[in-house]
Amino acid sequence: MFRLILQDPEVYEIDLLGSDEAQLVKISQDLGLNLNLDEMKRIREYFRKIGRNPTDIELQSLGQAWSEHCCYKSSKYYLKKYLLGFRPGYVISTSDDAGVVEFDEEHAYVVAFESHNHPSAIEPYGGAATGIGGILRDVVCMGAQPVALADPLFFGNPDTERERLPRGTKHPLYLLSGVVAGIRDYGNRVGIPTVAGMVFFDESYLTNCLVNVGCVGIVRKENIIPSRVGGTGEIIILAGGATGRDGIHGVTFASAELDEKSEEESRGAVQLGDPIMKEPLIHACLEAVENGLVSGMKDLGGGGLSGAVGEMSLAGNCGAEVWLEKVHLKEEGMKPWEIWISESQERMLLSVRPQHVDEVLYIFSKWDVPARIIGVTTEDRRLRVYWEGRLIYDMDIEFVSAGVEYCRDYRVEKRGSEGEDEVRDFGNYEEIIMRMLSHPNVASKEWIVRQYDHEVRASTILKPLQGVIGFETHGDAAVIRPTESMKGIAITADVNPWMTSVDPFWGSASSFDEMVRNLVAVNSHPHSFVDCLNFGNPEKPERMGEFVESVKALGWMSKEFGIPVVSGNVSFYNETPYGAIAPTPSLIGIGILDDIRDAISSEFKREGSAVILVGETRAEFGGSLYSKVTGIESLSVPKTDPERLKNYADAMLSAFRSFRIFACHDVSMGGIAVALAEMAFGARFGFEASLKDFVELFSESNTRWIVEIDERDALDFIDFMSERGCRAEKIGVTGGDVLDYGITSLELDAAEEKWRKGFSRFLG
Amino acid sequence: MEKGIFEIFGVMSMEPDEIRVGVVRIEGTNCEDETVRAFRMLGVFAEAVHLKQFYSDMIKDGESRSIWDYSCLVFPGGFSAGDYVRAGAIFSARAKSLLRHDLEMFIREGYPVLGICNGFQVLAELGALPGFDEDRPVSDKPEMALAINSSSRFECRQSYLKHENRGKCRFTSEYMKDEIVVFPVAHAEGKVTFPVGREKDFLNLLEENDQIVFRYVDSEGNYSDYPWNPNGSYSNIAGICNVTGNVFGLMPHPERVVNPWQHTDWMRMEREEGDGIRVFRSILKYLEKL
Repeated sequence: MFRLILQDPEVYEIDLLGSDEAQLVKISQDLGLNLNLDEMKRIREYFRKIGRNPTDIELQSLGQAWSEHCCYKSSKYYLKKYLLGFRPGYVISTSDDAGVVEFDEEHAYVVAFESHNHPSAIEPYGGAATGIGGILRDVVCMGAQPVALADPLFFGNPDTERERLPRGTKHPLYLLSGVVAGIRDYGNRVGIPTVAGMVFFDESYLTNCLVNVGCVGIVRKENIIPSRVGGTGEIIILAGGATGRDGIHGVTFASAELDEKSEEESRGAVQLGDPIMKEPLIHACLEAVENGLVSGMKDLGGGGLSGAVGEMSLAGNCGAEVWLEKVHLKEEGMKPWEIWISESQERMLLSVRPQHVDEVLYIFSKWDVPARIIGVTTEDRRLRVYWEGRLIYDMDIEFVSAGVEYCRDYRVEKRGSEGEDEVRDFGNYEEIIMRMLSHPNVASKEWIVRQYDHEVRASTILKPLQGVIGFETHGDAAVIRPTESMKGIAITADVNPWMTSVDPFWGSASSFDEMVRNLVAVNSHPHSFVDCLNFGNPEKPERMGEFVESVKALGWMSKEFGIPVVSGNVSFYNETPYGAIAPTPSLIGIGILDDIRDAISSEFKREGSAVILVGETRAEFGGSLYSKVTGIESLSVPKTDPERLKNYADAMLSAFRSFRIFACHDVSMGGIAVALAEMAFGARFGFEASLKDFVELFSESNTRWIVEIDERDALDFIDFMSERGCRAEKIGVTGGDVLDYGITSLELDAAEEKWRKGFSRFLG
Repeated sequence: MEKGIFEIFGVMSMEPDEIRVGVVRIEGTNCEDETVRAFRMLGVFAEAVHLKQFYSDMIKDGESRSIWDYSCLVFPGGFSAGDYVRAGAIFSARAKSLLRHDLEMFIREGYPVLGICNGFQVLAELGALPGFDEDRPVSDKPEMALAINSSSRFECRQSYLKHENRGKCRFTSEYMKDEIVVFPVAHAEGKVTFPVGREKDFLNLLEENDQIVFRYVDSEGNYSDYPWNPNGSYSNIAGICNVTGNVFGLMPHPERVVNPWQHTDWMRMEREEGDGIRVFRSILKYLEKL
């Protein structure tokens, strides 16, 4: 079945033409291709037509290109149907690794968002670090300077008993510490601030943690570099780290369920990161771009050279010839197919006109970054790979890149009717609030945030921790000043997996609502968003149902509210024999501030000012923190309406222009009870409010904010909002050393202590 | 001979447009852009210069530089060469082997050399700080270290600093004695550590020579422990200068707070400018006045 056609290094020809169905399946397994029988048959058909058998490097290349991770075969259909397609004029490009959106006359911002879940579950430090590395490259390859990182993380409960851990599973705290260290050591070293993110604990992530990484960059419009070759006869340069055996089959590994054997079988699929190669690689790439020497650039991510060369050539309507022996290697004896699909980190592929090659090579050598000429673009749309003159790969790029597409069956499961809601008033408010404040999903994340350099580049205007120095509280969004002008970018990361697991549709819509609330709270205009859609095994109709519901909700909110999704990522197979994760469509929202000095932070500023609630509170407790700490089942996930949200957001933003607002915070997990407490912790004084019942305290209804404003402006503000059809009411005043909710009250110091230690107590 | 050069060529007063600042980078330094920006805000020429531009023969003519092209050198923050060995060790070893002679002359002639965060670690590893010996401004061996923080973690936070220099430090002439300012810190290795058993001697000498520049304090201005002293530095020391006052190293980042809105509490407290800008202004004043 395997015939040796090249001795040193070894290349085999594989007898596909003579294989029956059982043998096709076996070939896919033996080579680790992770392709199913239908896909193998299509490949056999292709080679039957051209009248020869494929080589191992050709089959491996197809295994990469047709993986879920690379070709979105399960998601493409529904993404196109529901989510994508809304594209206002200020969106410059969404086709490459990152979305490019107009920032001002001269600049565009670039956003990318990806998952690095499976590698992080096996090797948390390396997995997370290389996740950061990959997302930086996605931004740099557009010609942009990265300016901020954001990373939502999801783990099993921190108090999980070690005896209860399923075989092959690592403890959530071990994973968390490793992931945070990986992000810290990589992000801090390359000098890009980590300014936003979230950490969420839920049982469903116990065997499959999620590590999502996002990056925002800035580029002068004339320097935007497409991920395609500029034409025939261009020189292909591979720059950056050497190619090794790390990260082989990373994408196929990402496109299958994890099990207890994943540890031993897949460690080689986790790449190794080297931030001190990345840092100069970024400088060198951007210097070459700045000097106008680069026609196209693409990072080497999933699928390695195999993916990058093919996609870049095809996008430029060309073919390419690659001389594989020119690639500089980490180790000897690597087989051509390994070199071709290796996902070794810190590598970038550039397409350069012949007259610019010397200059480009000089720049890389100045930065001590290896760069080699490895090929040339050709006229026909074929990709040919040679090893010392011997042709070992020769396929139509379109056949490889087009991949496959499925319209998978899905089933939306009804989770009881809303009449069955168990929610009731348990009284005992003081204790419930204390338990909420010390819940690890609510409690201060200072232990993590301070390990990330969130101020490098000196452009972080609203920091992730806000308030009195030494006593900071959580903010709603970070604000970055990416250029010399006063214009700013707000960044927030949001999703509520408790809500999405009760109801994927309304949970996803609520996550979108929260994202918008956070952007508005800091006084930025919601502008665009990116998504990282983490779900279970798409071959199971109920998982696919969760995905479809979620995508429907996001598409509806996006189009009706009027901000586009500009880039994203789908991560399926977040599932083990112990179950699937909660549906987790994490979102990163981007807002624009005309002047960063208009930003509003979340903590109270002055004693004696008015506290106003904007929005309407209903008894909506599905997926709420109240339901979790009281142990009741509630199915009514908060509803929202994009037009109503838009109306509120517009009214808030125009009120911010007309009134001097001291502080603003969105109402989310834990309801008004938690929102008010967080505003007080960062100010070092409390409040006196007049809340009347448990619904007002704890409901997590959408489209609500708390605003602090001068007492004398309060009535005008309320009138201003109601003239625009928005509800606003004064619920209290600031000051004192008590969190006085009206219906109950807590000592500020005691409550703050619970909140500050609720998460860090697990970490020491 | 060298004394003669000092007398003939030593730092002379300059016009602002004669001042040229070089912010020295290698792989892994990552605060050079904002450091350059801080100087440019004050209208002087500043550029990031790769260490290779000083010596390597692969560098094109237009890009090669000499130390003497600059009137001030800055070692910026970051993780030079990854800081895998010990923070600043590789950068300083490279700088020392290639530039020691020039650097010593540069310092002896009174030109200012600033090290921020990783740059402070570089200056300590280089032996330019604490810099007790006027005649040998770069010692053969390091005499102090910036050790791993007492918390064992990277710490990114805004720190209160008390300016305690009595006038020797050329980089802080624009701050009042005992003035309290806020600069952010962001490091994992910033604990000022002196040779075991000789800490007191070092401290006395530093105090006697007026080499202590900033100490960490709490929001009330008192010497305090963690988190106010973010790294556990000996005697709360945040920054020191050499005996002649023209080499200054500090862990906190003045270049990150040159505008009011870069402070964490900018919405709570009115400031006309960021607390850090005066470090850069002091340098220019020094070069202009001499």
